[in-house]
Amino acid sequence: MSTNDFTPRQLNADNFADRWQPRPDARSKARGEQRYPTDELAWPGLLHGRILRSPFPHAQITGINVDAARELPGVHAVVTAADIPGDNHYGIVFRDQPVFCTDRVRYLGDALAAVAADTPEIAAHALSLIEVQYTELPVLGDPAAALADGAPPLHPGGNLLDSSLLEHGDVEAAFKACAFVVEGRYSTPRQMHVFMETEGGVAVPDNQGGLTFRVGCQSGHRDREQLASILDLPLDKVRVIGLATGGGFGGKDELTMQPAAGLLALRTGRPVRIHFDRRESTIAGIKRHPVELVARTGCDAQGNILAHQLHAVLDTGAYATLGPAVLTNLTDHAAAPLYRIPNVKVTGQLVYTNNSVAGAFRGFGGNQATFAVESQLDKLAAAAGLHPAGLRKRNLRTPDDAGVEGQTQQQPCDPRLLLDAALASPLWENATETDNRRWLTGVGMALGAQGNGLGNGLPDSGGARLHLSAAGRIELAFGFIEYGQGVIAAVEHLACEYLGCAPDDLDIRLGDSSGPDSGPTSASRSSVIAVEALRRLQPQWRAALQDIAGPHADDLAPGRGGLCTPSGDLRISYAKLAKMAAQRPVLKVHFDFPTGPDATPRGRYLQLLIASVARVAVDRLTGRVRVLQLHHITAGGKVIHPPSYLGQIEGAAVMGMGMALLEDVPMQDGQFLLDNLDAYLIPTLADAPEQRVDVIEAILGGDSYPVRGIGELGIEAISPALIAAIENATGARLHSLPVRPTTLLTAMQEQHP
Amino acid sequence: MSEPRLTLQFTVNGSEQIIEVSPTRRLLDILRSDLNLTGPKEGCSIGRCGACSVLVDGQSTPACLLLACQLQGRSVQTIEGLRDEPVFERVSAALVNAGALQCGYCTPGIASTLTAALRNNPTATAQELEQALYGNLCRCTGYTGLRQAVAELART
Repeated sequence: MSTNDFTPRQLNADNFADRWQPRPDARSKARGEQRYPTDELAWPGLLHGRILRSPFPHAQITGINVDAARELPGVHAVVTAADIPGDNHYGIVFRDQPVFCTDRVRYLGDALAAVAADTPEIAAHALSLIEVQYTELPVLGDPAAALADGAPPLHPGGNLLDSSLLEHGDVEAAFKACAFVVEGRYSTPRQMHVFMETEGGVAVPDNQGGLTFRVGCQSGHRDREQLASILDLPLDKVRVIGLATGGGFGGKDELTMQPAAGLLALRTGRPVRIHFDRRESTIAGIKRHPVELVARTGCDAQGNILAHQLHAVLDTGAYATLGPAVLTNLTDHAAAPLYRIPNVKVTGQLVYTNNSVAGAFRGFGGNQATFAVESQLDKLAAAAGLHPAGLRKRNLRTPDDAGVEGQTQQQPCDPRLLLDAALASPLWENATETDNRRWLTGVGMALGAQGNGLGNGLPDSGGARLHLSAAGRIELAFGFIEYGQGVIAAVEHLACEYLGCAPDDLDIRLGDSSGPDSGPTSASRSSVIAVEALRRLQPQWRAALQDIAGPHADDLAPGRGGLCTPSGDLRISYAKLAKMAAQRPVLKVHFDFPTGPDATPRGRYLQLLIASVARVAVDRLTGRVRVLQLHHITAGGKVIHPPSYLGQIEGAAVMGMGMALLEDVPMQDGQFLLDNLDAYLIPTLADAPEQRVDVIEAILGGDSYPVRGIGELGIEAISPALIAAIENATGARLHSLPVRPTTLLTAMQEQHP
Repeated sequence: MSEPRLTLQFTVNGSEQIIEVSPTRRLLDILRSDLNLTGPKEGCSIGRCGACSVLVDGQSTPACLLLACQLQGRSVQTIEGLRDEPVFERVSAALVNAGALQCGYCTPGIASTLTAALRNNPTATAQELEQALYGNLCRCTGYTGLRQAVAELART
């Protein structure tokens, strides 16, 4: 394919036959042979751990007595904060979350104590014998209550954890010059990750004072640092192996069961398993931030957007985890990064409450903001009497425009290409056909922009290790965790491309903190790191192997099976090279994630684009929405492994569809109104729409960064596309997610009373 | 006072088992913890996600919902006991080729359920196979690959 070809191409097995191969772990997974953290059951002497959690969303602790629990036969250890050797706090941004609470509980997920016992049943019984005395405190059930005068501060700095301001121009003056101004109040749900495998794993003592964690996580290295600090162990005494796990989506980015399991394993000298059941995962697990957004957007008589203002309030729950970083990314997206707007003001407040802790979740605040921004564009188009696409086209930024914070960015292509492709989608044909009187159909679209990497100049580095084993295997190690996204497939394909080898020559090692630190498996950064690492390793690897081969090897290059001639004939196998070598090569690279040329990086440098078109049917009797078809156009760099790329876009879209139409963890006064999948519904096969993904692989500026991470792209624009489609079908425009059938029905009746 | 115990006699993957268990021990725990058959996965513990689906007397059933006292004389097959069956081979090949899995945690339940559906009705239509899977949740894929795999299985 020409690198100058910006024509979207449908991603399917026929068009991408040259790259369409099963992922390396597909067969073992399809046969049920893949091992997960929850399968760590066969350890000799394994004990079962359980964590005692608070019965109150907000209370003072006046006493705790674990004596009866300790005396229960079959119990091997009961631990509380008094047993923590190091820092009793953790948190990726601020260490504000206690491993075990001492004086106060701030939400129902707060931990008081943990036990290790011979069986899960004994452990559960032991928890019931722990006596804790509480004095209940007023519950701050939402951000308004937490910010009210006289509200008790949940943390020493008060209840406003963080605030944001992004401003350029003068919005107040600009609104006065607008011919049309629209306002909207939006809200988004407390979405739950619902990885099919809940948080869990095992901590195994090595009998030399050290511990190995075999767990579901997203960063073995960062978890190791936090765990070493909690357990007061030197870093080299803590090893974290992030096993292939049953889903992450951001929800395993923060520590979960590791501190309690580690402490119990140190105490007992035996392996300790803790695996959350779904109820505990619901209560103690991280969620997507519920956000209230108030937006005002205006344009002149021709449709040039002059001013855009947005205020967002995020309920971050009881502890910080990655909340401040989510606020930054939300603020960036709320400034309408796809559009050239001269006057913008975005403000955000990140507020502690006694609710479920909110943190990292695919989209990372961006998709909540994009829902409000794209909805505002639709409303403004309607007010100005313009076609929604026409208004967008008039105001879209060009690839050379600076980002919303004035930063340099690398855009994949002109966003107009995606808009044009979305307008040409076959979904618009028969858009509003009504073949019977019950179902109303409609089509809508939205655009989204997304960046890769941690951004904003945060420390963001990664590396890899490449090694020729004694048996002649090519061992390639990254710190990434395989949680379903297919990084193992990407690494295999990229290794074969850059190192010339065959898949059978390779042993890929992932997720071990004793190996290279590749940075966290988050922020859609792994594919970019993998490419950069292999680019750097490629010439070193070739030179190292030629060196082993000795003189006259200059025209041999690493290939399938070993060093090959320029025509591809195998000359010296990797096994033979391993035997010939006086010293077998061990190559290591470590480098910073690309952040562009700016002296002070802001936002994210590597950018991606998506347009999502949705076709829905609305039941006139019940207000229920069925999503019939989704069509996405993506500009996200080269497709490394087509089934994984497709699966990431389609899976993220259905997850976004869940957020838009179904999913929420409702809370009242700090109480969870549901705790399992009987009441928290996610899309099933019966709900799944037909999907089509067209990709623009080419990237402006050639191949400086040919690959982007696409794990979060598919969720970016799905909510506003669905809301636009519902409006197209019914005439009703909704502002609150998820769309409740009764809300939609009421809105439809108001349209046609 | 001693806990009530049950002598449970049933078949697991074709071999007769006689075990002493608590009458309320869940089939899922018997399989995963007692018999080391970790193919069925725990997802929700209330029969809603399908990750622990096994075949009980040939029908796909959530193993988290059945208790030892309900298993007397019955025949249980987990994915470990299905792997050599030609029908299962077809199912797993279709899942692999269509890219119908990512994290794969839901896959043993899906593969077992599809195997039962095809065994019970070798000429099942794509729609009938899809209906058999409505109780198997997948959070990664958006189900499009699964739908392709099902279409392939209905065709061949």
